[in-house]
Amino acid sequence: MTQMLKKNASELDHEFRYEISEKVGAKSLLKCIQCGVCSSGCTVTEYVDMQPHRVVASCLLGLKKEVLTSNAIWTCSLCHRCTERCPKNVDYSFILALLRNMAVKEGRVPKEYSSTVVTIYNNGFVVPYTGGLKDNIDRRRDRMGLPQIIPPKLEEIQFIINETGLGGLVEEEKEDDE
Amino acid sequence: MEFALFLGCTIPMKLPFLEKAFRDVANILNVNLKEMEGVGCCPEPVAMQSLNIDTWVALGARNLAIAEQMGLDIMTICSGCYETLKTVSVLLAEDEEYLKKINGILSKINYKYTGKTKVYHFVELFSQPEWLDKIKKLVVKPLDDLNLAVHYGCHLIRPSKIMQFDHPERPETIDLILEALSAKTAEYATKLECCGYCARLQEEIGENLVEEKMTELCQLEEEVDALIAVCPACTTQYDRKERIVARRTGKQLDIPVLYLAEVMAIALGVELEDLSLRSRSVKPDKLINKLTT
Repeated sequence: MTQMLKKNASELDHEFRYEISEKVGAKSLLKCIQCGVCSSGCTVTEYVDMQPHRVVASCLLGLKKEVLTSNAIWTCSLCHRCTERCPKNVDYSFILALLRNMAVKEGRVPKEYSSTVVTIYNNGFVVPYTGGLKDNIDRRRDRMGLPQIIPPKLEEIQFIINETGLGGLVEEEKEDDE
Repeated sequence: MEFALFLGCTIPMKLPFLEKAFRDVANILNVNLKEMEGVGCCPEPVAMQSLNIDTWVALGARNLAIAEQMGLDIMTICSGCYETLKTVSVLLAEDEEYLKKINGILSKINYKYTGKTKVYHFVELFSQPEWLDKIKKLVVKPLDDLNLAVHYGCHLIRPSKIMQFDHPERPETIDLILEALSAKTAEYATKLECCGYCARLQEEIGENLVEEKMTELCQLEEEVDALIAVCPACTTQYDRKERIVARRTGKQLDIPVLYLAEVMAIALGVELEDLSLRSRSVKPDKLINKLTT
């Protein structure tokens, strides 16, 4: 059940909406008319603590903390029906990605997401491809007459991950694992 | 016709038999595939984009730049790779400033992306009228006896302003390909539902979605011989979770999940023993029986 939330205007982050809308593709946030089409077609609408149209309303109101700590921004199944059906062309699935990026910057990232990035950092692929696992994969492909997997240029992939600012997160994850 | 083949990670490493089926189909249809040197993960659209959009776009642009160096368009065989690479290519085509910023990163590892690479999923290519005609002419084993249910999945067709191919709510391309193979396709209510694979945080979301679709398919008047998917995530999601749900609920759910290239390969004359149709949780034994008797 949705709880009544009382806030004074001074407790709201009035810049939050512009923090989002200044990004290319997210300007559409400001056009929302709260019709609820996004929430009615949402694949995960019954599983989230805040439905899509409420997330948008909360962004517009300046409820930054509530939005960035909600499970709604991480529960999305990326079906893109919200973006597809919005009569005002609000790109909700892209806005959600931006909101997740913001939550990550504040240090909030679910393990299910960060571990994937660490796997890519370590292997270049999203599937571990080293040691015994690599041998098994290679043997199986060989039996099927498939060409060998061409190794990714790992140092280039790691460079991009570091250069775009995710290197620190990868390091933290490694420390956690040790 | 020649393409840079972007294999991604899941298919070549976990489901190589799907790659084998696709390569066989491409070979029969005279599509030349060139291997891509040094590419990595597309990168996968769920976690990478969520953590940092720039990382996601820059890694994708590096893969696009490699195809550009080869002078070829990209052929993908996974809807996740298709979504990432196509989204990155469209975003960068529409935003010159962003392209400059991304090239600033790529230039430090000696890449440049100018925006020429087009990205295809094989469904997009093979559903074009001239290819449907070509496929029809090359069918040696028409699938007349099969009633197949199509699962489009989300990333193949949405958001349509990016994917720019097929209808986002009433798609028909996969149905057209199956009809070219003489198969029947089933109409059903949950056809456009998501498989739930990308909803990472709650296992029950995926299980409930799989239960809903598989239950409907089992109750259709005309028996469905297989669910047809075009993405390794959807394929494994339905195949594995169908068994889990059946055990939990006591429902009899036994619809096998096949990858589009596998049924194309069958119709185009690849021997059943050269495919690995039984490499899944729900074995397509009834379907194999139908095809061999």
